[in-house]
Amino acid sequence: MLRESFAAIVARNETWTGKSATEPYEAGWASEAVVFVRALKPVTGKPGRARIEISPDGMRWAPEGTEFDLPTEKDGIGFARVERFGTWLRVAADLPDGAAVTVLVTLHLKA
Amino acid sequence: MTDIAGNDLRRAMQMANPSLSRFDPLPRIITFDDFDRGFSGWTQLVGNYEEDLDSMLPGYAQHLSPMLSTLPHWDAGSHGSFDGSYALKIATRPKRGAQNVAIKRLTFRHAGPIRIEAYVTFKPEASELKLSEADVRSFGFLYDLQVGDGAGDGGQRVMPHMRFLNALDGEHIQRWQFKPQTTSFKPIGHDDKTVSHYHLAPEGWVDLPGGEQRLCYNEIPTKVNWTYLCLDFDLATMQCTGFRCNDRVFDVSTYEPIRIPAMKNLWCMLNLGFFAETDTDKRAFLYVDSVCLSGDF
Repeated sequence: MLRESFAAIVARNETWTGKSATEPYEAGWASEAVVFVRALKPVTGKPGRARIEISPDGMRWAPEGTEFDLPTEKDGIGFARVERFGTWLRVAADLPDGAAVTVLVTLHLKA
Repeated sequence: MTDIAGNDLRRAMQMANPSLSRFDPLPRIITFDDFDRGFSGWTQLVGNYEEDLDSMLPGYAQHLSPMLSTLPHWDAGSHGSFDGSYALKIATRPKRGAQNVAIKRLTFRHAGPIRIEAYVTFKPEASELKLSEADVRSFGFLYDLQVGDGAGDGGQRVMPHMRFLNALDGEHIQRWQFKPQTTSFKPIGHDDKTVSHYHLAPEGWVDLPGGEQRLCYNEIPTKVNWTYLCLDFDLATMQCTGFRCNDRVFDVSTYEPIRIPAMKNLWCMLNLGFFAETDTDKRAFLYVDSVCLSGDF
C-alpha cells in the first residue's frame, strides 16, 4: 500500500483581518503536514506572522509552537512543516490594525 | 456456466465477503469505497470560476475539503467507523445555513440501472452539553448525470437530489425531500464558456410522499449509529426507480430530478455527492463509512 497523501484546502479566497483562522481540519491519520498560505490578491499593510494551532477536540486551540511569515505580496507564499500534531490542525493569525491578506491555505498531509 | 449459476455464485461470494455482504449491489460493482482505505477519489465540490475566484457563486465558495475522521469526541474519544477506524467527514462552517459537499467524479459506460448504497451518520459539533437534535438542518446525496454525446437533440443533464430534512428554523422535521428544480444559471467570466448554478440552494425542495422517518440519533451529541441508504436510478430513462433507508422503502412515483439541457462538456457524466447543512451557528458533520455504486450491465 502506498502511504496515504492528501492536499486539503482549508481556506480559499478568504480575506483575513484581525483575529483569523482556518476551519479545523481533522487528520489524525497523517504523521506530517506542510502548510502553505498563498496571497491571492495584493496585500494591505504588514500582515505579520501566522501560527500552527493544535486541539484536543477541534473546538479548543493551543499554539503548537511553529510560526511563519504571512506573504506580503500577491502570489507570495508562506509555509511551515509540522509533525506529531495529534488529530486536529488549523492555521491562525492576529493581523495588526489596517493589515489584510486574502488567502489560499492548503495542508499537504502524509501518513 | 449458465447465467443463473453465475448469478448464484456471484451472490454467494458477495454474501461471504464481510465488507460487501451488508450491501445489495446490482451485478456489476462500479466502485466500492470504504474510507478505511483512504479518500478513494472523494474530494470537495469546488465551484466554477474564470479569471478570478471572486466569480465563484457564494454557495460553492463556502465548500472545503472533506476529511478522514475517527469521529473523535471530547468526552468519549474516537468512535470509529462501521467496521474500522475511518469515515469520510463532510463539515460545514459554523454559520446557520452553511453547507458542504463531497463529490466523486466518474463517467458511465452503460446507460442502464445504477444503485448507490451507503452507510452514513450525522451530528452537530458537540460544542454544547445538550442533545442538539435539531441543530443539523439536512444531509443528503445527489447524482450529477448527463446523457452520452450520441443522444442527439433534447439530451439532458439530470441531477437527482435526495435530502433528509432533519430540522428547519429549530423545528425537528425528519422528512425525506427531493429537488425538481435548480436556481437560474449565471454566466461566469467573459469568455462565454462557463456558467454556474447552485443546485443546493434552500428553495425548491419537495416532500417525498410518506417520507417522514425518525432515524436513530441517539441520546447525546457524541454517540452515533450508522444508517443505510439506497437509491436506484435508471440512466436509460433518467428516472428514479427506488429509495430505501434502513427498514423503510419509499414511494418514488412522484420523484423528479433536476433536468436541464445537456451541457457541452459533460457527456456520460456520473458524479456522486454527499452533503451536510447546518440549521444553527454550529458546524454540522456528515460521516460516510462506505459507499457502493453498482450497475446492471
